Amino acid sequence: MTPDSHQHPPVSLWEIFALFCTVGLTGFGGGMAIVALAERMVVKERQWVSPEEFLHGLAFGQILGPFSLNTCTFVGYRLRGVAGGLLAAAGFLLPSFLIVSLLAWLYLRFQHLHLLQKALAGTNPVVIGLICAVVLDMGKKQVRGGGAWLLALATFAAAALLKLNVALVLAASLVWALAAAFHKRGTS
Amino acid sequence: MLTLAWTYLRIGLIFFGGGYVLIPLLQHLLVEQYKWLTLREFLDGVAISQLTPGPLAMLATFTGVRVAGFGGGLVATICIFAPCIVLMLFVGRYYARLKEIDLIRSTLDGVLPAVVGLVASAAWSLGTTLGSLREWLTLLVAFCIFRWTRINPMVMILGAGIIGMLF
Repeated sequence: MTPDSHQHPPVSLWEIFALFCTVGLTGFGGGMAIVALAERMVVKERQWVSPEEFLHGLAFGQILGPFSLNTCTFVGYRLRGVAGGLLAAAGFLLPSFLIVSLLAWLYLRFQHLHLLQKALAGTNPVVIGLICAVVLDMGKKQVRGGGAWLLALATFAAAALLKLNVALVLAASLVWALAAAFHKRGTS
Repeated sequence: MLTLAWTYLRIGLIFFGGGYVLIPLLQHLLVEQYKWLTLREFLDGVAISQLTPGPLAMLATFTGVRVAGFGGGLVATICIFAPCIVLMLFVGRYYARLKEIDLIRSTLDGVLPAVVGLVASAAWSLGTTLGSLREWLTLLVAFCIFRWTRINPMVMILGAGIIGMLF
């Protein structure tokens, strides 16, 4: 079942899987780098979907989960329905899944090796540094105005200092944001 | 294994905003609540999942393998991604008719400050693993590099691993 067939002949399921496998294997850089790569391959080179449709997929992709994966699923679905969407997602995740499984296996097997411990200890502060940089970057873009600052500080205090359940804090913030969105729509 | 599947499915249902919110969520559940892995192992897992093109959520694969072997990794990966894949299939079908999208968008924009706060709290508790002055200096240098250059995190992590091995 194809939700809407474009002018060109339907793309085979195998082609979808192979293309997103390539994206998942070569899209080093994560997030937006992947979306840019997928856009070039799917929209510019093959014209499987229109640029507008791709952008819609990207916009919806930010609702839940990683938008790189969601955009791939969306494109796959628009091409060949549920099977297309599932194969696009599986193709995209497969290379990373295999790499992480292999690395995790190696890690657990050789965890006790002094050299590996030293290498990983070297990466630990870098990972935390990355997270700090992400916090600052997201903070600059997303935390605007007094209410937003209050929310960010409150969630930080709740999770870091009071040690409350993170999922609960997140759920409470979601309810808060939904109420605020309703309120905004009501007043505008 | 069922606990594992259910845990990751729940996480998959509530993560949004690019994936970094996973760090506080997974850290809280796996390290503090279930004690399936230590804070150090968790940090190593973040480093390893950054070495792939996949989303940060590949961290689920790592923690799954750590808890229950290859099968655990597979179950964790499928469960954490299933909710968003199903949702996207649904969106793909009805997207022309999703009129309430402005409400969803502004809700999500509204919740982003909370995500920032939670990710900051993850950095806070991960920071407790650091001991020596050298580690704190590395953190500072890494932070500055990430802040003011557009370097790929993968390159930085690989480089830090090599430097750590040599010195």
